[in-house]
Amino acid sequence: MADLRDQTLGFRLRREWPAYIYLIPTTVVLLFLNAYPVAYTVYISMTDFGTGGRGSLLHYQYIGLGNYYRAILGSGGPTTLTLLENSLFWAAGSVALFLIVGLGLATVMNQELRGRAVYRTLILLPWAMPAFITILVWSNMWQYDYGIINELLATIGVRPIDWLGHASTAWTALFVTNLWLSFPFYTVVFLATMQAIPKDLYEAASIDGAGSFSRFRRITLPYLAPTIVFVGLMGFLFTFNNFYPIYLITSGGPGISTQIFITESYNKAFGSVGATPELSTAAVYSVIDFVIIVAITVVVIWRTDLTRNWLK
Amino acid sequence: MTGIRLENVTKRFKTTLAVDDVTFSIRDGEFVVILGASGSGKSTILRIIAGLEVQTSGHVYIGDMQVDDYEPRDRNIAMVFQSYALYPHLRVYDNIAFGLRVRRVPREDDPDRFRRRTRQEIDDRVRHAADLLGIGDTLRKKPSELSGGQRQRVALARAIVRDPEAFLLDEPLSNLDAKIRSSARIELKRIHEQLKQTFVFVTHDQSEAMTLADRLVIVDHGRLLQFDTPENVLRSPANQFVASFVGSPEMVFLQGALTSVGGAYAFELDPVRIPVRGASSPGPTTIGFRPWDLAVDRAVGPGALSAVVRGVERLGSSDQLFLELNRASDHGVAPPSGVSLRAMAPAYEFQIGDTVGVTIRADRALFFGADGARLDALEGGTA
Amino acid sequence: MRRRRGRKWVRLAKRIASHAVLIVAVLFALFPVYFIAITSFSKIPIASITAQVLIPKMSQLTLASYHAALYGQYPTFGMLLENSLIFAGSAAAIGMALAAFTGFALSKFNFPGRRSFVYFILIISLFPSFLLIIPYYFMFAKLGLIDSYPGLIIPYSAGAVVFSGILVKNYMDSIPDDIEEAALVDGLGRTGAFFRVLLPLCYPVLGLAAFLAFVGPYTDYALAHVFITSSGKETLALNLYSIATTDTGASNYGVVTAFAIVMSLPIVVFYIAFQRYIIGGLTLGAVRG
Repeated sequence: MADLRDQTLGFRLRREWPAYIYLIPTTVVLLFLNAYPVAYTVYISMTDFGTGGRGSLLHYQYIGLGNYYRAILGSGGPTTLTLLENSLFWAAGSVALFLIVGLGLATVMNQELRGRAVYRTLILLPWAMPAFITILVWSNMWQYDYGIINELLATIGVRPIDWLGHASTAWTALFVTNLWLSFPFYTVVFLATMQAIPKDLYEAASIDGAGSFSRFRRITLPYLAPTIVFVGLMGFLFTFNNFYPIYLITSGGPGISTQIFITESYNKAFGSVGATPELSTAAVYSVIDFVIIVAITVVVIWRTDLTRNWLK
Repeated sequence: MTGIRLENVTKRFKTTLAVDDVTFSIRDGEFVVILGASGSGKSTILRIIAGLEVQTSGHVYIGDMQVDDYEPRDRNIAMVFQSYALYPHLRVYDNIAFGLRVRRVPREDDPDRFRRRTRQEIDDRVRHAADLLGIGDTLRKKPSELSGGQRQRVALARAIVRDPEAFLLDEPLSNLDAKIRSSARIELKRIHEQLKQTFVFVTHDQSEAMTLADRLVIVDHGRLLQFDTPENVLRSPANQFVASFVGSPEMVFLQGALTSVGGAYAFELDPVRIPVRGASSPGPTTIGFRPWDLAVDRAVGPGALSAVVRGVERLGSSDQLFLELNRASDHGVAPPSGVSLRAMAPAYEFQIGDTVGVTIRADRALFFGADGARLDALEGGTA
Repeated sequence: MRRRRGRKWVRLAKRIASHAVLIVAVLFALFPVYFIAITSFSKIPIASITAQVLIPKMSQLTLASYHAALYGQYPTFGMLLENSLIFAGSAAAIGMALAAFTGFALSKFNFPGRRSFVYFILIISLFPSFLLIIPYYFMFAKLGLIDSYPGLIIPYSAGAVVFSGILVKNYMDSIPDDIEEAALVDGLGRTGAFFRVLLPLCYPVLGLAAFLAFVGPYTDYALAHVFITSSGKETLALNLYSIATTDTGASNYGVVTAFAIVMSLPIVVFYIAFQRYIIGGLTLGAVRG
């Protein structure tokens, strides 16, 4: 045939090329402000910046994977392990709480209640307040000697608890604060999804003899499953690297029992005043953090087929 | 003259062949309906004419211009979508005026240069189109406030107002309530007569197609099966598929054989024997007939099929009997029992359970070969 | 049938329990906000903040803290506000534009390399943005952009691009293709169709994208702390953080909380005004996955 305009690569390019133009600004921004810094961080992680004992910002040299060896298998191993455990616990525990409370509240709100919209607006209101302000306030509330939580407990006869002094109570404080920060979001998202379920499914089910638990299990949950996975994953990733709650409330303490990768990395980079920042160590933690995150994301998306119909 | 011509148009989507070497020519001012089942490629053909899809090979001509390399906006066509595709954020007036505002027209003083339309020009055209379709009082409303029928008319108005070279309509009546659909059909025909423009209309509804079309394009699996007037398609279908697709009630097919004794051909289906004029190679042949081409008698005469009355439909003017054929004999090419067919006969004469004789009118029967193609050389009955 | 008796009472009990649960949730959610508000209106120093919070006494209320917050700052509250608005506003505008372009390109075009591009931006965005501060500092120091307006606005703009871009893409996916096709047939090119038809239909999700792109920079402390060295460009967040952490006694709680509330007002107003769009855009983007 003289002219064969097939769906070839060249053909698609001719028709769809404007897309590239539209993506140029974003690509430039992401390369410059995302890809390059990441590459730079990886590079730094393989130098002795700050740990070479030379005491100067400008002198560092490439030392390959030595830092990693030290951090994972060597002397830094226990610390890295603790950071890993803490980070995972922090993220997984928080998300579990978010999902349970979010689902529960959404279920309650899904009924035909009066003033439902009012409740929804009210619980979302704190979300409009800047996070670090409210976290500072929470930090203040958890204080042993003047925190309002202990004072309130005192009014009902409970002895003041040194929240931030012990690992278990510190984690409790962190989880409660984090729950406060996030539960409105999850509630609203689940509620919206639930409301999209056609009502006659429930009617048919109750005629068929299903009680409320059964209806929830067989109708509501399957509908919610993709959303649960999606926001669960998003929440996990977000919490894993959520800096402010831990930094402002416990500073990783007591000791490093609540320290996670991101806060330790920040400390190594900006923590000590005057001395050379241990940037290479900070970079190593950043990279380890990144690798774990990417691995978890890839696995979850792969196993749950989350993006099946997403790209035409 | 603004006809539309397709030459050997083929469209392949990755592995599927959606349009297979289609060629046809539409005359200026004609109302052509592209009829086919879902997935037959009819919408794809329309979209190729519009420029929304680019064909894999072949050419499209609008007027005398080859438009293969032209974007939809430069083909001077208007399209009405099945979902109407009205702009939700604009009022009806602005929906209709949209295409006018976007394009420029040649200047009167210097046809090589272009100008925008004036507000007055746009207003005149919009109101004219709106009045033509009876939606003049909805101009200030938004699409979400309109009924389905109104939205459909806005979509039509939007197309009309641009005065294009051709109108392309993709199943525009399919989403309407049954009640409105027939009046919409008539109105559409009226508009076509008034505008005298070329209309290309796609549908899967054969009654719609038969009513509206000047000529029909019948497609199946991407291939063009027949391109003719509705009467011709009904009377002389190109093949068995076409014959079964158009016409209501459906044509009935029975498998028999074409025999030749001496020089005389006949179609045999025990106990039926229809002499046939014309010539063809003997072998398995299918006979097709319409319910109104059958005669039903109380007695089973010689050469008549035996059937049992299973249902009676009293419609007044055109009573119908639902019959089930009996097995006449155990050998030869007998009709399979259980084949149900409808026949027109006065209902009062028969009751459920009666055994009746069915005779096929020889001169109205059609014959199809093993491959489904119509054996148009054959005619029933003796000279 | 065992269900018939007592049905009305069961329903009523369920209703009461539901309301109770929701009220508890609301109290839990609003308590810290209430705490902040009361503190900001209280006379400082105060004997027992707990008592005041539980049973506010009119005699202990004052606007002194607000006065101190607004007038007692160096640099002036006005200047801080101006800087914050410049940084966050510019970042929001740029971020919104980027999100719109990206979402459009990903949603309505099927270009070679689309899959790889999406995987790339998704993965690259997983790097803890917080830790990008370290390389940012070095990069921008070399460019001499530390302590400048563009220097901070650029990183801020990059923050929400991927997430907002995906939100816009999801939203645009739900706009039927034939609206764009109708615009094409009506005489627009793809660019015209984008700006005049698709974009106006995306206002809800764009509003959400702008809101997110604004809130982040507006409340950011970490990046601003590293990038801004002259007090002339100090932002509200920076100032708040320093007054909140310099003196941990009870004496400046009033000022801190008053400052925080005033600083939050633009966001709260914005949020209440566009609540419908924000929640709508949120759920549509999130529900689609």
